[in-house]
Amino acid sequence: MGRGVTKLRRYLLVGLVVPVLAPGQDDPFADETWDDGWGDDAAGIVFTGFVEAGLGTRSSDDALVDQRSTLEELRWRIETEWQAARVKIGFKGDAGYDAVEDELFGEIRDLSANFGLGESTDVRIGRQVQTWGTGDLLFLNDLFPKDFVSFFAGRDDEYLKAPGNAVRLSRFGSAFNVDFVWTPVFEPDVYLDGKRFSFFFPPAGGNVAPEPPLSAIEPSRTLSNGEFALRLFKTVEGREYALYAYHGFFKQPTALSPLLEPTFAPLTAVGASLRRPLGKGLVNLEGSYYHSRDDTDGRDPFVPNSQTRLLAGYEREARPRLTVGLQYYLEWTHDHARLLANSPFPDLEPDEFRHVLTNRLSYRSARDRFTWSLFTFFSPSDRDAYLRPQFTYRHSDEWAFVAGGNLFAGDQPQTFFGQLEDASNVYLRLRRSY
Amino acid sequence: MKPRRLPELMEDTQDMPTSPAAIRPWIARGLTVLLIAALSGPGFASADEPLSDADTITERASLAAYYAGADGRSDVRMIISDSQGRQQRRQFTVLRRNVQELGDQQFLVVFSQPSDVRGTVFLVDKHIDRDDDRWLYLPGLDLVKRISAGDKRTSFVGAHYFYEDVSGRAHTEDRHELIDTTDEHYVLRHEPLDAASVEFASYVTWIDRETYLPVKIEYTNAAGQVYRRVEALKVETIDGHPTVTLSRVSDLETGGRTDMQFRFIQYDVGLPESVFTERSLRAPPREWLRRPASGGSAR
Repeated sequence: MGRGVTKLRRYLLVGLVVPVLAPGQDDPFADETWDDGWGDDAAGIVFTGFVEAGLGTRSSDDALVDQRSTLEELRWRIETEWQAARVKIGFKGDAGYDAVEDELFGEIRDLSANFGLGESTDVRIGRQVQTWGTGDLLFLNDLFPKDFVSFFAGRDDEYLKAPGNAVRLSRFGSAFNVDFVWTPVFEPDVYLDGKRFSFFFPPAGGNVAPEPPLSAIEPSRTLSNGEFALRLFKTVEGREYALYAYHGFFKQPTALSPLLEPTFAPLTAVGASLRRPLGKGLVNLEGSYYHSRDDTDGRDPFVPNSQTRLLAGYEREARPRLTVGLQYYLEWTHDHARLLANSPFPDLEPDEFRHVLTNRLSYRSARDRFTWSLFTFFSPSDRDAYLRPQFTYRHSDEWAFVAGGNLFAGDQPQTFFGQLEDASNVYLRLRRSY
Repeated sequence: MKPRRLPELMEDTQDMPTSPAAIRPWIARGLTVLLIAALSGPGFASADEPLSDADTITERASLAAYYAGADGRSDVRMIISDSQGRQQRRQFTVLRRNVQELGDQQFLVVFSQPSDVRGTVFLVDKHIDRDDDRWLYLPGLDLVKRISAGDKRTSFVGAHYFYEDVSGRAHTEDRHELIDTTDEHYVLRHEPLDAASVEFASYVTWIDRETYLPVKIEYTNAAGQVYRRVEALKVETIDGHPTVTLSRVSDLETGGRTDMQFRFIQYDVGLPESVFTERSLRAPPREWLRRPASGGSAR
């Protein structure tokens, strides 16, 4: 596990022990009389959060990345909110030490002002995490930033969604509701950069882990390069309808500049979704058209082609406390023949149709103390797969323990999960909430 | 029908039979209840002759326990204790709105403790004629998660209470029998029509003759043993409505139990329908969640 370990152990001890010794929050339930201790409504600022230690290791070596460790960190979360007149300020931030990257880190996940504008409009300005759409770990119309490195390394699911600096306007009407999100400076996904996991790079014909790590060229910071996301939505008799539009850039650096540097291609997308009960379960349907503005006829091999993405899913509680979910997802790359004809690496280009099946199995014990879950991605067209087994034990309101794995398999290095075969890992996390 | 004892929480919306043949007697019963209520006014029951029809009694219990006022709010906290005395806690605020008397209802549950569920919001549209619509908002992911209609006899947020204790059990799912009438209680015995769908063989309820609030329920398993008990430990009159303010469920097999206390209760606060929408998941409606200045104490 290398040089960070001793240091990390020291942080671990300090980090986990200090909050235990520190005076806790008011504990209303400690009062057996039940007559006080409801906490005061206007008690002022309340701080909550957790301290978490995470350890994860590769299940096999990656010849390109010398560290076997994939997760080795101590993280301190602080959350609070502050209400001033009609404005609520929210804060959520992490700080800690990451031994895999050997760095102290600090990240603000939320620092936003929330207020109403008239009767039917809510405004949220600042750093924030945002999610919409109907997929379960599949995102079509949700083009808010995601952190796949955290996801693959076994951090809490929450970290799959990366924060962005944005203005969100939500208007609620009787005909339909509108969400409008403006992100003035393009916020890409946290993409594979070679630090923790190597990734497939077509010009190299295989995986690379560049030093320094990959830093894709981002669009220049002009107003016109901001991101605009729109959702119109309405729920009628338990059926949720939504229309989506997005104007910005592909969130992954899937384009190449003339100098073969990875960059983000301009993207405009429109889509729709429906989610409703069906039998004892829930069905979700979602579609999106990705219009690649710089390669409208699919001729440019260095810019991704336009795509149609479709999703159909069904989830239900098959037995008490056992939830089963199935999804089918399709990525249809348009002008595929032209893509192959113009590509310098036609063998490495994606198939015209990429099919993905997912399966969620989740079982909770009585009173939710234990949770076993397995989420599987499988692509019959790419012949690759990604398994996410996880076990969660909630010992008390304070202590929780998680063990899990991220297991990748694939026949070919250029497929999404295939490139991650050497990134397969198992991890443990121990969390103390306060 | 199963007694109700959690007046502020999810409501039994599946009280009404859904087949056309069954609806007519239901309407007749409903009208009877309303007429008696109209003619007799509040407290009509106490001085009258005891009732003898099990369905009528359970109907009245439902009105008393679940439909008090046009809407209501309460702070709720639970202590979940296992057999070794280890405790967990939950604290949340519940807003309830009746869409129709003895019909559909809406609920918004906003969690404040413990810290790992703080900010989680639960929205329920309870329906008479179909499964409830349920959404859960997870603030960490900004995710509005829809929850499928599930087994209702599973733990509610880790407590010994089941969703069904909280949301109510359709009385059409059981056969009811009045087995005793004491000075204080109607005692009813209930047997499931579909024994395979539940873990109990039968249960007995004690319904207060004056308030119609169920004050005790005991569940019996196939071996004939009482293994689970729900009790109303404290009843107060709030805004004119007798209300359970402290209840307990005991798992007699494992020795675990959950105590649930209600505070800052208020009825007829004028909750608009718009409170029970996706908007409230991301931005819980502060003005309606705020505790009443009176403190909701007994009057």
